[in-house]
Amino acid sequence: MTRESLRMKAKLALVGCAGVVAAVPAVWLAAHQPPHRPTEPGAVLTFLVGGSLLGSGLGSWRARPDNRLGPVMALTAFAWFAAQLSEASSPALYTIGTAVQYLFIAGFVYVLLSFPSGALHGSLDRVLVASALALALGLQVVAMLWGNKSGLRCSASCPDNLLRVLEDNGRALWLLGLQRAIGGALTVTAAVLQVTRWWRGGAAQRRAQAPVLVAGCLTLAALTVTIVDDLLGGPLGSLPADVFFYAAATVPGAVLLVFLQRRLAWGMVAGLVVQLGGPNEPVDLREALARAVGDPSLELAFWYPAEARYVDDDGRPVELPGPKSSRRSTLVERDGEPIAVLVHDPVLEHNAELVRSVCAAASLALENQRLQAELRARLVELQASRGRLVEVTDAERRRIERNLHDGTQQRLVSIAMSLGLLQAKLPAGAAEAEPLVAETRHELELALRELRELTHGIHPPLLTERGLAAALEELCRRAALPARLDAALEDRFPDQVESAVYFVVSEALANAAKHSHAAQVRVAASSRGGRLVVEVADDGTGGATASGGSGLRGLADRVEALGGRFTLSSPPGAGTTLRADIPCE
Amino acid sequence: MRVVVADDAVILREGLSRLLEEAGFEVVGLAADADQLLEVLERSQPDVVIVDIRMPPSHTDEGLRAAKIIRQKWPEIGILVLSQHVNTRYAIELLSAGTDGVGYLLKERVANLAELSANVNRVGQGGSVLDPEVVDQLIGRPRQARNPLERLSEREREVLALMAEGRSNKAIADRLFISEYTVEKHVKNVFETLELSPSADDHRRVLAVVKYLNGQ
Repeated sequence: MTRESLRMKAKLALVGCAGVVAAVPAVWLAAHQPPHRPTEPGAVLTFLVGGSLLGSGLGSWRARPDNRLGPVMALTAFAWFAAQLSEASSPALYTIGTAVQYLFIAGFVYVLLSFPSGALHGSLDRVLVASALALALGLQVVAMLWGNKSGLRCSASCPDNLLRVLEDNGRALWLLGLQRAIGGALTVTAAVLQVTRWWRGGAAQRRAQAPVLVAGCLTLAALTVTIVDDLLGGPLGSLPADVFFYAAATVPGAVLLVFLQRRLAWGMVAGLVVQLGGPNEPVDLREALARAVGDPSLELAFWYPAEARYVDDDGRPVELPGPKSSRRSTLVERDGEPIAVLVHDPVLEHNAELVRSVCAAASLALENQRLQAELRARLVELQASRGRLVEVTDAERRRIERNLHDGTQQRLVSIAMSLGLLQAKLPAGAAEAEPLVAETRHELELALRELRELTHGIHPPLLTERGLAAALEELCRRAALPARLDAALEDRFPDQVESAVYFVVSEALANAAKHSHAAQVRVAASSRGGRLVVEVADDGTGGATASGGSGLRGLADRVEALGGRFTLSSPPGAGTTLRADIPCE
Repeated sequence: MRVVVADDAVILREGLSRLLEEAGFEVVGLAADADQLLEVLERSQPDVVIVDIRMPPSHTDEGLRAAKIIRQKWPEIGILVLSQHVNTRYAIELLSAGTDGVGYLLKERVANLAELSANVNRVGQGGSVLDPEVVDQLIGRPRQARNPLERLSEREREVLALMAEGRSNKAIADRLFISEYTVEKHVKNVFETLELSPSADDHRRVLAVVKYLNGQ
């Protein structure tokens, strides 16, 4: 235990003792009050309201030492106990009690307006609290300068008011009426302000602060009714005042409840540390943090230094909320480097130290998660670059095919034509030249055939011109095995997808012919749900593997680069089935 | 016989027209793409058009599309489509719209002057020509047992292939060094085995045969 917390404890104990010392006479006075002022609280209410203020005040003070609400509530408890002095029969005590009789109301106004931060923010807040103070203490004392006994709404048996310097009960009563009229307006204003503020907050904020809102509104409403009733001469008797006192007794409790909820959240930090430090079972970090700070809507964004931006869990880019957003973000750093950002409800801004503690407790886990997110971001990039590579390869293949077609092939055909012409122009009897030319032409035909097959293997023109279904049909027609095609492909698909499927089928047919000893092959292609599925199955000996120089590895790469799946099933003796499943949207 | 040549490559266009002239044809027009070809035909109609399948602007199947238009506008013009690739599908697309005066050949076949002039003449006279390589793909492809083609004799399959190339009974007889009568007997057998209705016309039977082969 640190010296700080010891000192804190001593301070709280001291204030508590003082409170008890103040409470005893106050409750005694309330229990023994003469029956002259029926609206004064009885012993039970005196104890309830005072005890609630003192207990909750000390509790809040301890829970949130930096928040002014705890001390203010404890102070209000003393004001409340002091007010009971108005029941005393000693004129001096009576005078003091009457002067501070309504001071506690100003305390309540402060508590309700400054909740949850404990500080007054707007000038309207300050004006309201200052007015409450001026009315409760200032105007009361001013009225006491004139009034005595009935002039201060007290019976004839009341002690004398020692503050009275001038005798004018009428003026005193008029001032007290004014005090109540302005007080009523002020109460309504405070209530409206509290409700609108609550309503404007985020969902988490609304939920967290609901207890204080309910207690506060009830208190202010009961106070308004009490004042109005009082202005009308008290037709409702002591009922409104009693309701007001009971309601007021719940306000400190509500404040403490909200603080303790947060304190519970503090307890969650400890739980979080234990959870994150536990054995290596996977922890949903986002959920753990959301639970710890009490904001189910919490989101995580991780720093991705390679591109100097934030990414989500899956490595996809995220935008952080801007200044106008209804969300807030808190940066988590480690050794001066950004790790992550917590995107959360604005209510957590009132609890910044909790968020800081949670971040500190989780920073190692966050750094780990960040590394994972970075890895995923790199994978996303890698996938994209693989896709681009396939795209580039396909474009390059098309270009080579086109160049061969327009260049080399045409030139060779032109040479073949010249040879044909030469052959025709050979003079009769050139017996030695004739077979030479014929042989050259034959060789040229073979060269052209080889070139034709080569260019066809590089990129089949039919695929570009007539689409996948036509190209697969042609493949099956050319196959060295009986091949049955089962293709229901009406549409065209992205170029890379068509090429990938084409080469998969082409390679599978070639493999089946070379290695499988199959009697026939079945090729099935179909598209459903944005995926193109192709399957090549033979009835051969099986036992094929995707490793080695079979060309299947390259095809698997090609398919996977497009985000697809490539599977090979080849149990010995049961044929080979090759399947590619590629997203095509 | 008057011929128009359409090919986007100058050396092939010029080379082909020289060959044709050498073989005794009259080259009455040259075109570098399908649009030019149609313009040339608007002015005067030759007996035969020789057109490259792959031409600008898209370098895909312009020749094939031009052939369709020509067939509609001037059905009497023979069309010989040349291709650098063997593409059975295109050949069948071309023949499906009618086999009269239509041919599909690999480009390098033109180097054989005798073959070239025979093919151009055949197309010009309303006959049909199908590249042996295409026929080979249709007939020579591996098939499952119990396929009717498996029941044909070697000689009958040779006759079937030459039929599919568009040759007449006489040409087949010359090529195989047998009598025309024997050819007729083989043809009858082939049609019976494949359960095709016999057709006396040399030209029309090409499509029936090709369609049959493609379906198997």
